[in-house]
Amino acid sequence: MMRKCHLNTCPVGIATQDPELRKKFTGQPEHVVNYFFFVAEEVRELMARMGIRKFDDMIGRSDLLDMRRGIAHWKARGLDFSRIFYQPSMPPEVARYHSEEQDHGLERALDHQLIAAAQPAIEHKQPVRLSYKIRNANRTVGAMLSGTVARRYGHAGLPEDTIHVAFKGTAGQSFGAFLAHGITFELEGATNDYVGKGLSGGRIVVYPDPTCPARPEENIVVGNTVMYGAIAGEAYFRGVAGERFCVRNSGASAVVEGTGDHGCEYMTGGTVVVLGRTGRNFAAGMSGGVAFVYDPDDEFRNRCNVTMVGLERVANEMDQAKMEQELEIAGKGRLRHAGRTDEALLRELIERHLRFTGSTLALAILDDWEAALPKFVKVLPHEYTRALTEMYEEHVVPVSKPAKQKQAA
Amino acid sequence: MGKITGFMELERVHEPAQPVPERVRHYREFILRLADADASKQGARCMDCGIPFCQSGCPVNNIIPDWNDLVYRGAVRTAIDVLHSTNNFPEVTGRVCPAPCEAACTLNINNDPVGIKSIEHYIADKAWEEGWVAPQTPEEKTGKRVAVVGSGPAGLACAQQLARAGHDVVVFEKSDRIGGLLRYGIPDFKMEKHLIDRRMAQMSIEGVEFRPNVEVGRDYPAPQLLAEFDAVVLAGGAEAPRDLPVPGRDLGGVHFAMDFLPQQNKVNAGDRVADQITATGKHVIVIGGGDTGSDCVGTSNRQGAASITQFELLPQPPEQENKPLVWPYWPIKLRTSSSHEEGCERDWAVATKRFEGADGRVTKLVAARVEWKKAGDGQMRMQEIEGSEFELKADLVLLAMGFTGPAPVSLLEQLAPERDGRSNVKASTVDYATSVPRVFAAGDIRRGQSLVVWAIREGRQCARAVDEFLMGKSDLPR
Repeated sequence: MMRKCHLNTCPVGIATQDPELRKKFTGQPEHVVNYFFFVAEEVRELMARMGIRKFDDMIGRSDLLDMRRGIAHWKARGLDFSRIFYQPSMPPEVARYHSEEQDHGLERALDHQLIAAAQPAIEHKQPVRLSYKIRNANRTVGAMLSGTVARRYGHAGLPEDTIHVAFKGTAGQSFGAFLAHGITFELEGATNDYVGKGLSGGRIVVYPDPTCPARPEENIVVGNTVMYGAIAGEAYFRGVAGERFCVRNSGASAVVEGTGDHGCEYMTGGTVVVLGRTGRNFAAGMSGGVAFVYDPDDEFRNRCNVTMVGLERVANEMDQAKMEQELEIAGKGRLRHAGRTDEALLRELIERHLRFTGSTLALAILDDWEAALPKFVKVLPHEYTRALTEMYEEHVVPVSKPAKQKQAA
Repeated sequence: MGKITGFMELERVHEPAQPVPERVRHYREFILRLADADASKQGARCMDCGIPFCQSGCPVNNIIPDWNDLVYRGAVRTAIDVLHSTNNFPEVTGRVCPAPCEAACTLNINNDPVGIKSIEHYIADKAWEEGWVAPQTPEEKTGKRVAVVGSGPAGLACAQQLARAGHDVVVFEKSDRIGGLLRYGIPDFKMEKHLIDRRMAQMSIEGVEFRPNVEVGRDYPAPQLLAEFDAVVLAGGAEAPRDLPVPGRDLGGVHFAMDFLPQQNKVNAGDRVADQITATGKHVIVIGGGDTGSDCVGTSNRQGAASITQFELLPQPPEQENKPLVWPYWPIKLRTSSSHEEGCERDWAVATKRFEGADGRVTKLVAARVEWKKAGDGQMRMQEIEGSEFELKADLVLLAMGFTGPAPVSLLEQLAPERDGRSNVKASTVDYATSVPRVFAAGDIRRGQSLVVWAIREGRQCARAVDEFLMGKSDLPR
């Protein structure tokens, strides 16, 4: 009925955040349950009509598909479907449906070694220092280790850096996925896509092999969709990331030296620092969190999608405090992102980037901080501004002045 | 399209209407079109939902979201072209269509639908007023001759399309004026007849010849018709009224609605009608709860009836439909027409048992209440409620119980096309061809009694079928 899910104007209150429109939503979970009952019933009827008893017996039976109407449609004129619906001749002993267990080779996963070696940390919270070679066949390294930590300690995990693993080589897909609190992964080399997917409190550090002659800030060091859906933790990448960096990040911090297209897409929380050039369509659909982009040539604006975000210069601590005071007097105060001034937060993240990765780019920026700071652009989603203002009104305004100072401290 | 948030900010606005005491004193239209600003606001309410059910709900598939948007932006000049691309007579449907599009409007799921009909009315009237409606004469004539028998909405739409395709079209009409039910079935207060004259002028320039006062079959035998024309389109409507065969039916003062309504239109047009059936000072009973019944109520009020009662055989429908159940289809619900607003008693689930009278004229009606129950075969059947019989004073009884099919005219006897089970002329909606070679059928004569907008659709589609038949191909839209 409606194909306007992207406009926030869904008239039946489904695909919208507008409180007035959401009131119009009349659906109930039971309706979905009913719907599936009806689907099941109809499927049963169709199966009975075809004389089929079990679902498995229908799989692959393209000869039973009624495609006359599809093929007769004028849009399908000239299309030949015979290869799509081709039935290979197979002896009856060959199954047409999933009937054997697949072997994912999980028992060969690197995580088994990590878990075994990290036993002192897991059992007694004793710090362990490990090092491994890694190659692209090692996928989703760290997920099982994190699961083991989480089963024992929950989301709170272990104290910072309890399990520190230094890798060398090229990591496979999803390096450090779901990494838990208290685990640090340090990689000398490069990675594939989905580094830090669903990052859950751990720390990921990636820097290129120091013997490599290429300049890190001009070369890709991590793949696409890095930090996809991360919720907590931090990551430092000495080099450039691929497309959709930090897509759907909701709470983690990340520093990178450049990104591909669609950086910070659909981001709802967390902090991202980009020390170099971004691709186009940065911040599309970004509704929360903050991104700081180093923009010495003043051209980031052209590559940012400003539908949902505003761009500001980053004020130094003094100026920010002054500005906040003025806003407060005007009755328009708002909370600080991450409870810190922008300058303090940004500087700390870049300092940590330098400390963990040895980035010369970070060093150069910090060396000339006074001059570098004004060259950063702060990407602030409009919805996030509204939320910070509302939270300020709810939590700060009603209480008396001393409490307000406490908040600032 | 439209204003993205328009439906959240703007309300449905109804077209301004003259108050009842004023409008029942005359037979002119009393509903005025929207002001420019209101039309724009109504267009802004269109959500451009993406799957425009209005467009598929509309029998002529009007491209509603497009012209809603154009009106919102004030581009009425373009809007009339878009509107005319699917509908030959938007000034008619903008007045008398029940607007199935609005029932299907996506906004109607949980809100008041966009006032689509009022926008159509606005576009059409504004375009005529500004002189934007010009004849579309064909670039080349084909030399083919087509006879269209019947000048109602189906016949006229068909004729106009065929003329624009370059054929010589002659429209035959048995009445003294062109227009069929548009002319004599719709009271002037719902649609003034100069609108038809205006269209006829346009169509004459486009190459349509009108021959009123000719009853084909009687004045113009079928063999002659087939000899003189390359194709014949039957568009004679469904004029056979449903009768009420109860005792006293033959008393004076009991008339079919369609004997009553046309007379007033003729009088309005300046004709003298001998022995006009009038409601003046009479107790009027209208039997039948549909649109024709409604028209009888409105006309009776204007003639100064002493009282008006309207009966419906079916039970009273709910005031509000169950939208999740029926949307986007046409809901059965209580509908109060502008004629009802002007004053009348309405009663449901009433069956007339007999008429009684004195000196050959009806004086009273005896009726009983009925109950509808599902019978063993699943069909709803009515049953008289014992002891519910009652009488009502009646000086004039108007039968408006619908139409059963084409009137038994001599043309149909001579051509003898195959009929369907409902006595309609049999033809498909693909080729509109009857069983008689070179003879086509469109509108109520083919589908049975229906809406003006369905007649326009059939006329248009039939024109394309005829064009294809004559030329082997057609550029006319379907």
